[in-house]
Amino acid sequence: MNNRKGTFSRGLLNAPYVIWSLVFILIPLVFVVYYSFFDLESGRFTLEYVKIFFTKPMYVKAFGISLLYSLIATAISLVIAYPFAYFLSRKKPASQSVQMILIMLPMWMNMLVRTYSWTTILEGNGLINNLLELVGIGPVTMLGTGGAVVLGMVYNYLPYMILPIYTGMSKIGQPLLEAAEDLGCNGFQKLKRVIMPLSLSGVISGIIMVFVPSISTFYISQKMSNGKVVLIGDLIEQQIKEFWAAGGLNRGAAMSFVLMLIILLCTFVMNRFTDDDEGGMII
Amino acid sequence: MVKEQNIIELHNITVSFDGETVLDDLDLSIKDGEFVTFLGASGCGKTTTLRVIAGFISPDHGDVFFDGARINDLPPHKRQVNTIFQRYALFPHLNVFDNVAFGLKVAGMKKDQIKEKVEEMLELVNMRAFAQRKIHNLSGGQQQRVAIARALVNNPRVLLLDEPLAALDYKLRKDMQNELKRIQRQTGITFIFVTHDQEEALSMSDTVVVMNEGKIQQIGSPTKIYNEPENAFVADFIGESNIIDGVMLDDFKVRLDGRAFKCLDKGFAVNEPVDVVIRPEDVDIVSPEKGELTGEVSSITFKGDYYEMIVDVCGFKWMVQATDEQLVGAKVGLVIEPDAIHIMKKSKYSGMFGDYSTFSTEMDEMEEEARLEEERLEEEAAQEEKGDE
Repeated sequence: MNNRKGTFSRGLLNAPYVIWSLVFILIPLVFVVYYSFFDLESGRFTLEYVKIFFTKPMYVKAFGISLLYSLIATAISLVIAYPFAYFLSRKKPASQSVQMILIMLPMWMNMLVRTYSWTTILEGNGLINNLLELVGIGPVTMLGTGGAVVLGMVYNYLPYMILPIYTGMSKIGQPLLEAAEDLGCNGFQKLKRVIMPLSLSGVISGIIMVFVPSISTFYISQKMSNGKVVLIGDLIEQQIKEFWAAGGLNRGAAMSFVLMLIILLCTFVMNRFTDDDEGGMII
Repeated sequence: MVKEQNIIELHNITVSFDGETVLDDLDLSIKDGEFVTFLGASGCGKTTTLRVIAGFISPDHGDVFFDGARINDLPPHKRQVNTIFQRYALFPHLNVFDNVAFGLKVAGMKKDQIKEKVEEMLELVNMRAFAQRKIHNLSGGQQQRVAIARALVNNPRVLLLDEPLAALDYKLRKDMQNELKRIQRQTGITFIFVTHDQEEALSMSDTVVVMNEGKIQQIGSPTKIYNEPENAFVADFIGESNIIDGVMLDDFKVRLDGRAFKCLDKGFAVNEPVDVVIRPEDVDIVSPEKGELTGEVSSITFKGDYYEMIVDVCGFKWMVQATDEQLVGAKVGLVIEPDAIHIMKKSKYSGMFGDYSTFSTEMDEMEEEARLEEERLEEEAAQEEKGDE
């Protein structure tokens, strides 16, 4: 009796989340899958739209560039975030929270605004080029390059790398590090044998949280490259926005679907690296 | 097993955190093969001393010597000591075997040799069957054993133990005390053990170092510490003590409560004021007319193998332990044999301990606080009355 009542009230508590997931996650997903395989006009099943992704050079190239840039951005973020998170986690609690706020602060501002402001820094007569001219180095083209796109990705998503790594690091208690020293570890061995294994699940989370939005972004590439670098996200946006009726919705859905499968595969592979019982799984 | 030469020497060690002195000009030497215990309440500096030896804290002043060589600047990973941490600090990402093997792997030992040594060590602590277990699937006692094995497998010259038994329940703690003592005898390694539990200290150690306020109060064997405490702090901290103001009349003669007693102590100035320690179990209860002192029983508690009573002698509350029951309010006589009396020089702790009107200083403070609070309320009430008029 009690048990049944318990499950009922628990069910009631869960209801809002279940409804939310249904309306905003599951049903849209079903639509994406549906439009990937069923023609909008005729309603017939077709593999044509999914095939485009692998056959049409424009799409293959866009996907290749997206993958390359997001991997580079993820790698750079990791290189910056890892030592930063470590040193942050070893500071006094008070200065830890201050620095944490400093990291979070830009995220309180709209991402579009932040990205747009970078263009004024990087453009031909922007801040950096003005400074360079002062020392006699001619204007350098920065905006519109792949480098600028990667910069935009790193800048926007770096906090998502720092946060999970920092959380993992701050769980490594001082006694564990002292135990490592006590047992003969110098600084490097301590890093290799204790800190790295114990922060691995945070690193995996960070990689996924930077890689996924980077590979599917469209706004960053549009602003930072003036439309010169076309990522897969740009193509999806373009198809849906400009060619809605002429099969664009189908192509957009199919690309989203394939991209989603690839991301799922990547995260699945990444998660193999962590312990199953560490609780660091994203999927 | 205890050798003559010192393995560790601390000279004039001073440590302070944020301007607060934690260790105050501390001098200490520890012999090779000794089982030494640092005993004191929390905040007395015992763990800090341990961490200075391990190398996790470098002292503000003073020198640390190991085997005659100054090691102030030697980092922890190069010192020939290993530590068993308060909460064990086992590595959660490694199983039992790999935890124990950790130090050997870092040292670059060959795999088959590591396997042999680790298994031998797990045998010593009765954990061989658990080699492949994850740390968080072990009980507290098992984790404790793994921690011991992890430290000992490196063959340290000195093993530092930071309150290692504090987290265990009473019976397990007793077993682990015996086990640690056995391991220490078997290996001959110098053990430096930190605890706040006086019983643990007395039953395990060759030498006890009693600490308070960052200073060493007394160093000695357990029996010496118990029978001949150096000051009122030590007498009160180790076991129960009645500490009474006395005056040394002559060698072997002391006056307390207006009466002269024979004792075994000498070497004090004539008429020197002293602290007199008398242990509760050393006081004999007799009929009032036969007693050297007479008093009234103000409370009695059954303790199993004896009765513990508080006897009021002219306002000073004595604790007496005896096997015969007395009624509360009964007049009794007390007899104290010369060998039950221990004389101590006056110290800054004189008058702070040894009266059993209350058992703990905390109780004293609570009573004092309650009294002040009552006074305050009365005052407030009086003022309100005035205001009403």
